[in-house]
Amino acid sequence: MNENLQEDWLDARLREETPYIDDAGFTAKILHSLPAAQPRRSFRGLILICLTLFGSVLTYIVSDGGKFIGVGIDRIATLPVLWVVILAAVCGLVLTSVATAAAVVQVRDGRSG
Amino acid sequence: MPLNDADLVARVLLDDDHHAFAELVRNHQSPVRGLLRNLTRGDAAAADDLAQETFLRAYKNIRSFRGEAKFSTWLYRIAYNCFREEARKRKELVGIDERQLESEPDPHTVDPALKQDLMQALQLLPLHERSAVVLCCQNGLSHDEASRVLDIPLGTVKTNVLRGREKLKKILAAWGPN
Repeated sequence: MNENLQEDWLDARLREETPYIDDAGFTAKILHSLPAAQPRRSFRGLILICLTLFGSVLTYIVSDGGKFIGVGIDRIATLPVLWVVILAAVCGLVLTSVATAAAVVQVRDGRSG
Repeated sequence: MPLNDADLVARVLLDDDHHAFAELVRNHQSPVRGLLRNLTRGDAAAADDLAQETFLRAYKNIRSFRGEAKFSTWLYRIAYNCFREEARKRKELVGIDERQLESEPDPHTVDPALKQDLMQALQLLPLHERSAVVLCCQNGLSHDEASRVLDIPLGTVKTNVLRGREKLKKILAAWGPN
């Protein structure tokens, strides 16, 4: 009983005698050290979409109506089936590798700190 | 109406709102700096440097805060990690013995003017007991929360708190009026 009272008294003293540390410019110092604010995510998305559209239109005009696409498809059509399969597999592997690397980087960032 | 920690964190996440983060710093600076002052045995300058590093890390990694623990608990964990890293660096640079970091100064060598000062008595505990007592008894964390902050088993936290309290009582009794 006496032991419990003493422990309560000790805890109460520990809480009561904890000095409040005045900010005294600490928060301002932290704010000053923060990296510059990033543009808003939705705004960034809009910029990316506009740039993609602009790039597509520019490519279409410069390539004379996208003729290179038709030419490319004709060339692929004349390739042996085995080559087409290998090309598709390589494209798939490259895309999977890039996506996996992006996912790993994101998970690592999320776990730090 | 003042916003709570979860709302402020949401603002930082969604809008990268520096004012919301400043509010979080204002709300938590005193306990975080206090914890670090206790860990560094009252070295206010070193503690404030570590506190600054703590809040910068918190800002950079705020996406990893998922709200499963209290924001303050998450901050204490970062602060404790900053302290451990700095202690390790210092140990490597000046060759401080691990036992020295954990050592208990002799209560009889304390300035008589400071006797009866609970905060002074706290500085006499070894690091593992001091950190457990400060987190649980002073900052009001549960044993479970403290075990996450200190990254040690729950049973060890309970033992360290118990031993730390016993030693504090003995020191205060020894300093008491005869």
